[in-house]
Amino acid sequence: MTHAAGEPRPEAAPAASGAPLKVVAAGAGDEVDRGLFEVRKKIYPRAVHGWFARLRWSAVWFTQVLFYGLPWITWNDRQAVLFDLAARKFYIFGAVLWPQDFIYLTLLLVTAAVSLFLFTAVAGRLWCGYACPQTVYTEIFLWIERMIEGDRGARTKLDAGPLTARKFGLKAAKHAVWAAAAFWTGFTFVGYFTPIKVLGGEFLSLSLGPWETFWVCFYGFATYGNAGWMREQVCKYMCPYARFQGAMFDQDTLIIAYDRERGEPRGSRGRKADPKALGLGSCVDCDICVQVCPTGIDIRAGLQYECIGCAACIDGCDQVMEKMGYPKGLIRYSTEHAMQEHSGLQGIVRRVVRPRTMIYAGLLATVVTALVTALYLRVPLKVDVIRDRGALVREVEDGELENVYRLQVMNATESAHRYRIAVEGLPGLRVASQPVVEMAAASTRAFPLRIRLPGAEAKGGSQRIVITVTAEDGDHLQVREKAVFISPRKDEN
Amino acid sequence: MLTQRIAWILWPAFLVACGMEVVFFTLFDPADLNFFGQPLEASRMTIYSVGFFAFWALGAASSFLTCFLQRSPWEVNRCPLPASGRPEGCPKREGPPCC
Repeated sequence: MTHAAGEPRPEAAPAASGAPLKVVAAGAGDEVDRGLFEVRKKIYPRAVHGWFARLRWSAVWFTQVLFYGLPWITWNDRQAVLFDLAARKFYIFGAVLWPQDFIYLTLLLVTAAVSLFLFTAVAGRLWCGYACPQTVYTEIFLWIERMIEGDRGARTKLDAGPLTARKFGLKAAKHAVWAAAAFWTGFTFVGYFTPIKVLGGEFLSLSLGPWETFWVCFYGFATYGNAGWMREQVCKYMCPYARFQGAMFDQDTLIIAYDRERGEPRGSRGRKADPKALGLGSCVDCDICVQVCPTGIDIRAGLQYECIGCAACIDGCDQVMEKMGYPKGLIRYSTEHAMQEHSGLQGIVRRVVRPRTMIYAGLLATVVTALVTALYLRVPLKVDVIRDRGALVREVEDGELENVYRLQVMNATESAHRYRIAVEGLPGLRVASQPVVEMAAASTRAFPLRIRLPGAEAKGGSQRIVITVTAEDGDHLQVREKAVFISPRKDEN
Repeated sequence: MLTQRIAWILWPAFLVACGMEVVFFTLFDPADLNFFGQPLEASRMTIYSVGFFAFWALGAASSFLTCFLQRSPWEVNRCPLPASGRPEGCPKREGPPCC
């Protein structure tokens, strides 16, 4: 391994069928990999079969069955997973989350970020290769393209040829199927925010709301553009993670590596020929690894930041090695150390435990513990006590002193509850307003709360009291909220 | 270069707008917002959507200024040197004589 991630890419070998990967930027005169915004060499990834392709397709199925299926599941007579933005409530199976529960979302995002760091340090770009929506949708859109236009060779020929009726028909069919897939994706996305069955009904009766229509189209268009047109350019130029993932890599990180020692010098030869007699290595220079690459790189030039770790080149090369009767694994998952030391799986596993991974794992364990503890301790009842700004204190009948508060109660459970309001902290302190309140499921209400103290017990100034709100139906729902009771100073009387 | 610049301006702004949207509307309920002292008489969905584009526009404005300031003054303004006297590799060396 000669090139670490993040280093400038070395001179790439000529790509398949003689077409250079590098393109000349218009007018600049220097050979640069411009891509995206001006001259981009279109990449026609070739279909690949093998162990890793199956793994990637399993990941596509898993994530997409989850994504497209989840909104259709019903739980407690409502959509199981619904981010009801209009009502500012998030339903996730049994739980109802409110904006006040933002901390859980934050912890969840931190968990995701630290997991990504850990996975990257151990196994490289697993996320990019198997789970990232960009990879997943590109895979789906490529499959559609392949079904309609044919594999790499047929597509290259089709694009190079003149616009015939057949070409127009194939292109139109492809874009129609892409648009349908993109629409369904946008529809599902919006279905996470508006109940999807309602959304479906509205769509069928052509009464979709303006913003819903807009967001379905927006998300659908983004899917169509990213998976159909942008593809690898999103990873190369737009993805922030792709830019800094090299920082998490070290010499023990699992990467897709070409065994230079075994492969070089590369060269074509007959199936029966003895490579030793010809002075050749195992690489038959068939360029399959380049043709299957969704980012169009040549992995034989060493690790490059464009490599999303999808392992398509491993599958492609293994097929060729098998045909040639050579051992598989000329391109394989390995680490820089393992390649240098010629150690196999054991050597790789032995080095998984190292300071970097231990630090990431420690961080991850801490954040996950915090999240689980916070979720476990979460009481689905929230209470806010706000002092009435109008009057500090007033004297009522029997010489009692009264303070008035506004009690904001949020029943974050999915069942109705009766709550008893009590107060403690000073002798003789009592609730003079309605002591029991009824709350509908998942609702918020404000109540006036009047608290009285016998005049004899008032010490003057502000004294700490505690207001408790307890569910009467014994769901162990109780919240204690601190407040202040103000009474006039004795010397002022 | 123009497309590239547009992408540099819009794309980071889009990412930041997504983050802002989540943070802002978690902390503030659109129903509680006032517009010149008057309550906003629009549905939450409308305010969320309009808010997203407002954040996007603000982010784009910031990205635009970053892009703009990254260019040297000579790129932006009239170059004091005659076209023929400009150094090798200057993008305006072969340009029209007026700029």
